[in-house]
Amino acid sequence: METRPLGETGHDSTVMTFGAIALNWLEQEGANQMVEAVLDAGVNHFDVAPTYGDAELKLGPKLRQHREEIFLGCKTGERDYEGARHKLERSLNRLGVDAIDLYQVHGLETQDELDQITSDGGALDAFREARDDGTVEHLGLTSHGDPDLIIDAIDRIDDLETVMFPLNPVVVAKDDGEHDYEAVVERANEEGIGTLVIKGFARGPWPDTDELPEEDRPYANWYHPVDRPDEIRERFAFAASQDVTSVINPGDPKLVSMVLDAAERFEGMDEAAQRSVVESARHDDSPVPQQLHH
Amino acid sequence: MDVPETVRTALEDRPVEGAVCLEAGAGVGNTTAGLLEAGARRVYAVTNDSEHAGTVRERVGVSDPDRVIVVEADLRATPLPDDSVDVVTAHGLFNVVPTAILPEIAAELARVATPGAHLVVDDYDPLPDGAAMRDLFAVENAAAELADGAPTLTFYPAEMLRRLFAGYGWTFDCERTLLQPVPWTESHVAAHAELARESAASLPADLAEPLTTEIDRLVDDIGSESAGRMYSLAFRLGRET
Repeated sequence: METRPLGETGHDSTVMTFGAIALNWLEQEGANQMVEAVLDAGVNHFDVAPTYGDAELKLGPKLRQHREEIFLGCKTGERDYEGARHKLERSLNRLGVDAIDLYQVHGLETQDELDQITSDGGALDAFREARDDGTVEHLGLTSHGDPDLIIDAIDRIDDLETVMFPLNPVVVAKDDGEHDYEAVVERANEEGIGTLVIKGFARGPWPDTDELPEEDRPYANWYHPVDRPDEIRERFAFAASQDVTSVINPGDPKLVSMVLDAAERFEGMDEAAQRSVVESARHDDSPVPQQLHH
Repeated sequence: MDVPETVRTALEDRPVEGAVCLEAGAGVGNTTAGLLEAGARRVYAVTNDSEHAGTVRERVGVSDPDRVIVVEADLRATPLPDDSVDVVTAHGLFNVVPTAILPEIAAELARVATPGAHLVVDDYDPLPDGAAMRDLFAVENAAAELADGAPTLTFYPAEMLRRLFAGYGWTFDCERTLLQPVPWTESHVAAHAELARESAASLPADLAEPLTTEIDRLVDDIGSESAGRMYSLAFRLGRET
């Protein structure tokens, strides 16, 4: 599988990152098999978080067995020093490892949170302390929030080494600043920061719960994912062609093998084909006014 | 308003900034929006379809009334003076222009353009053999031929429009591929089927019925399809320099 430099971390990540949240819905034996399948496909970058149910625990056994083959990303949603330090220790215990390769601020949403993590006694103090004592090697940040906020974080956190954010044809088709994650890619690349893509496989929101109750949704994702092999291949190729480091699978375990296949077969996507994907997403999103042309 | 990537790509290296532009066949205003975004001084959005004229006013004209002038006119005879436009665009226009009136439109666009003006023509190559959308377009054209004596759609190869405009004084500059494959989404399929049904509805029942049945069958059958190529041709008016 193709690898790319993860910013200036010195690590070359595979073009697919395994989102280990998928393990949460599997029994231990199934989780072990999935990790083996992911490693067999050549994936070398894993991502997990303490908020993904039992994912850390279920990743543990195979992670320990293959520790040297896996670049491990983990995260914390805590915003202050004490909370982050505590959560890091808890993740190390649950995963059963001595160190995490990439520790990320999880789900930054607001300017207040950015102020908090960067202030004295903020979460980043715990991250840096852990880096000094060797339990964490690199610092990252994840967000579904406003692209401006992520760019602001890049500007304000000098030692930030990776960012994780949404990117897919639906957001690329929208021109407003609220959806301009391409600007995040650009700034991150200027700064030598690794870029990890989430929501690459989102088709759109789920229908109203009146129409489709939550328990009847066919996938564990909180959005409606694309789920045909050709769509998964197209979405993967699109996301991986946006000048980013790596693309993370959707959380539902049923989709993981299709994404692995897409990642193994990925050979780039030319610009006319990328525009074609954006163009279909534009029309999916807005059926009116009625349009005959592209 | 979101500008389609196709439009943005076609305009990206054209000198639109500060230019007086003519969008030939304004559609729903996508290219007009792209020209405004690229810094056009003024855009004449020309269409012979009053519904489209209203849509363009509503979607694009309202936010920029000083720069958008929606002109309801036939492209064979626009009310614009000679040598008055710096950039002419025709995005997805010529596939709805029957062959018989193609030369008159080409002549009119050359008339209103200033010497050295730029022309951008974006359209579709004929669909490849085996594309299901070809069948839908065939039925759409059959119904329109029977109803109005002219097809709804004609897909001109890039090479043909290139030579046509060369014959009206435009020097070819470059060609690029905007979309390949072209995504014919469910909403495109539905829109084309609707036009075909409208044509069929004006025919005697013994003609309308089989056409409508076939349209319904094709809509179910196709769903959506990615096939074909959308190209962009760029020209300058005048002799090669």
